[in-house]
Amino acid sequence: MADDSLPPGFDAAKLTQAQRAFESALGADKVFFEPLDRTGYKDKFAIQDAAHLPAGAIGPTTVEEVQAALRIANQYRLPVWPISRGKNLGYGGSAPLLSGSVVMDLSGMKKIEFDEEFGTVLLEPGVGFYDLYDFIQANNLPYWLSTPGNSWGSVIGNALDRGVGYTPYGENTKSLCGLEVVLPTGEVVRTGMGAFTNAPTWGAYPFGFGPGWDQMFVQSNFGVVTKANMWLMPEPESLMGMDVEFDRPEDLKAMVDTIGPLRRERVLQQSPSIGNWLRAAAVATTRGEWTDKPGALDDSVIDAIRRRFNLGWWGVSLRIYGREEVNKAAYAVLEKAMSAIGPLSIRPTSWVKGQPMEYSGWTGTPITFPMQNVNWYGGRGGHIGFSPILPQSGSAALAQFQRTYARYKEYGMDYQGSFAFGERHLTNVNAMLFNKDDPAMMARIDPFFRQLVADAKEQGYGEYRTHLDYMDLVAESYDWGGGALGKLNQRVKDALDPNGILAPGKSGIWPKGARP
Amino acid sequence: MKRMLIAVLVLAGGAAIAQAPPPPPKPTTLASRPGVTGGEALYVEHCIHCHGPNGMGTGLLARRIQPALLEARDNLPAQYVIVAARQGIGNMPPIPRGEVSDAELRAIAEYLAAGPHEAAQ
Repeated sequence: MADDSLPPGFDAAKLTQAQRAFESALGADKVFFEPLDRTGYKDKFAIQDAAHLPAGAIGPTTVEEVQAALRIANQYRLPVWPISRGKNLGYGGSAPLLSGSVVMDLSGMKKIEFDEEFGTVLLEPGVGFYDLYDFIQANNLPYWLSTPGNSWGSVIGNALDRGVGYTPYGENTKSLCGLEVVLPTGEVVRTGMGAFTNAPTWGAYPFGFGPGWDQMFVQSNFGVVTKANMWLMPEPESLMGMDVEFDRPEDLKAMVDTIGPLRRERVLQQSPSIGNWLRAAAVATTRGEWTDKPGALDDSVIDAIRRRFNLGWWGVSLRIYGREEVNKAAYAVLEKAMSAIGPLSIRPTSWVKGQPMEYSGWTGTPITFPMQNVNWYGGRGGHIGFSPILPQSGSAALAQFQRTYARYKEYGMDYQGSFAFGERHLTNVNAMLFNKDDPAMMARIDPFFRQLVADAKEQGYGEYRTHLDYMDLVAESYDWGGGALGKLNQRVKDALDPNGILAPGKSGIWPKGARP
Repeated sequence: MKRMLIAVLVLAGGAAIAQAPPPPPKPTTLASRPGVTGGEALYVEHCIHCHGPNGMGTGLLARRIQPALLEARDNLPAQYVIVAARQGIGNMPPIPRGEVSDAELRAIAEYLAAGPHEAAQ
């Protein structure tokens, strides 16, 4: 039987040769092939512990070392899986899709070049949200980040996987403005104005001249991004808003149909996220405090948890950023609209520059506490998310919720769902919390996930992002024109990566000869 | 993003007006501990976002052990810290060598083993 931690077609001796080549190019202190390294880069939240096993890891710290490493990978036909900081927990973390790949850990690339006048920053992939926050604090810069619920990870890694934050700059991939990329064959390109030698506008104008390629390197395996410019939000003069709770599952329709127009009109400039009671409760308590009954929680337990923490069935936080006078006028519009649809509670918030600040995602403060939800079931917890894109319609959201909630009950899982607003869409994030020490529960996760993908497909809803296990499944669901987009991706892959060494299988894109 | 848990204060005219819990503290980073060096600096850089006040690690440890802040502990042998970090423990993922080198982890572990530290107060 083949060793699952060896690259396809490799024996131990050939892998050792490649390891020696990496050591020669990078130095032995940046090459990690001990057994502990192989377990250290596995997916902490894996559904299948035997999947996605790395052969080892390398840690280049310069663009030249990334180039050298990719040339060695081509020489040996060795698959390499780049990670920025590997904290993409719930989507695979630091693990490669293809077992036997060598993880390229870029967490040692931590340069920050900040343009204080214009609020643009040139980042390397190892710069985490806490690193950039620290830089801003240390230099007293008047800018806010856009942080995700788990801010342990990389700033540009998050943007390159289309992660989100909660300020007006919340769709982080839209804040990218020009990349530096090492192509699979080792050449370096810069996109946007970065292609123009000595242009002072690399971080200012995202498009350059001719085709724009930035999104080509997002969620793809067409290159290793070694630098990216991002825009940061100037610290506002004022922040106002409200945290609003609603009592009934059916209230979701009115919430979406009230918030959506305000978002499209840009009265609301940030991206609110409607979440159910468990999204809040799973951070603060564990299931075992309430019941030992298997299966999805019944309404009496849900009611008791809601009463303890004063939670609605749904809740949403809305925030307005900018000049105080403008915010006051916008807040009045917001208050009138939300009060008209019968909320259970409204908690207003108001901040003016100079006052004590709210340290939360709404002020771009990095946080990690939301990940406490992995302890909901106890044991070695984890989660994955099923996240289809929906129209920004209350009836569509309510129908999707009702279908999905029924499936959670059918599979005996507690429902944690949210509906996050973009400008014209909703991202419906359905978190599957689990306990890896409960084999019966773990056996249900895969069929449950596949059922949700199939249900959504029937409605025309596709996922925006997914775990390693489901990249082929989700890619196949984008099937218009006989899978024309997938075929284009494959042609690009084969043109840029003729030896198929870079992140095989990422987003369902496989090299020639390796397609499942 | 999780909603902050709220406490209802006043019921008036249908919707309740609710009061916030104590606000979460400002994150601890090197900028808030100027001049720190060695294992403490490495701990702040690599660990404190989860193991500081309001961090995930602190919140989960507080359900089982006090004090939950690692810097406040007087019972963390260096070798235990190293094994826990490298292999992961409970809900904590492993910290690989590409992220924190053996020498850096040793310095962090020796810092924690010398606790409790005043910085945690």
